[in-house]
Amino acid sequence: MKSQGGDPDEELVVRVGRGDPAAIQALMARKLPRMLQLARRMLDDAIEAEDVTQELFLRAWKQAPSWQPGVARFDTWLHRVAVNLCYDRLRRRRETLMAEPPEQADLGPAPDRGLQARDTGRRVEAALAALPDRQREAVVLCHYQELSNIDAAALMSVSVEALESLLSRARRALRAALADMRE
Amino acid sequence: MGMMDRTRFEALAEAFGGRIDLWPDAEREAAWRFVAEQGETARALLADAASLDEQLQELRPPQPSAALRQAILDAAPRLRAGRSRLWRWLTGAGLGAGLAAACAAGVLAGAVSTGPSADATADALMAASDDGAALGPVESLGSVDTESNS
Repeated sequence: MKSQGGDPDEELVVRVGRGDPAAIQALMARKLPRMLQLARRMLDDAIEAEDVTQELFLRAWKQAPSWQPGVARFDTWLHRVAVNLCYDRLRRRRETLMAEPPEQADLGPAPDRGLQARDTGRRVEAALAALPDRQREAVVLCHYQELSNIDAAALMSVSVEALESLLSRARRALRAALADMRE
Repeated sequence: MGMMDRTRFEALAEAFGGRIDLWPDAEREAAWRFVAEQGETARALLADAASLDEQLQELRPPQPSAALRQAILDAAPRLRAGRSRLWRWLTGAGLGAGLAAACAAGVLAGAVSTGPSADATADALMAASDDGAALGPVESLGSVDTESNS
């Protein structure tokens, strides 16, 4: 898959591959908040999100020396790895829950999940976390990461029509969950 | 590009939110035409979608912890062999790369002329360098990056 329209990260990644400290700092500054946000929104757990982000950067550092300019966009590659790592976590979480059923119905990682959260942010977080994984992924990629529909669909291995359907269902559910907060 | 009807416009607003600039490339032009033609109807649909966008934006981006930043930096690639501390000292002292190279060559020549063997020369150079291997943690290198001058 050839990258389209050039890769704004390409030069930086090549320098990272050579061990250039300034490039390492610059790439981290550029990508860390964005990728942490993705993991946090996908997992709804601050500690797991940091674990996944650390693992993601370990992989990026390993990949950098052999990065092939012009083959794929680095940001797309990074998102793909991040999403896969998040799904690994979600799968593991489900397996753990199946192997060791919780005594209480709600063992979500967020301490105040299920309670009447007072601040809007927490309410949104809870509403996002309650979405089915694929719907949440669609919202995270398109709304928070601001990927194009084509890039998000490619990352999710679905058609753009299927992506649109996931987004519509997700936003309807979010709208319903947050309806009482709307003016 | 064909005309866009209300049903399609509404579906796009429902899926992608109230900002047409974030809608699929292929449909933006028709969407803007719909806005121009339908005015109030279109704006009402966009405003409705935008109210959910605003709620979603209430979720503040998480801040990476200092521990995470450090763990990532600690695992970063190290500078490859070939740019020694001597090199960075010479270029960091304001010498151009060419002059620094000449000085480095002078060190080499001096070592060759006074040293008894090639091994001793290599030892002398290695002592002035980073053992031809990894540098310390990235942050310890400071902000001067002479590598990019080459």
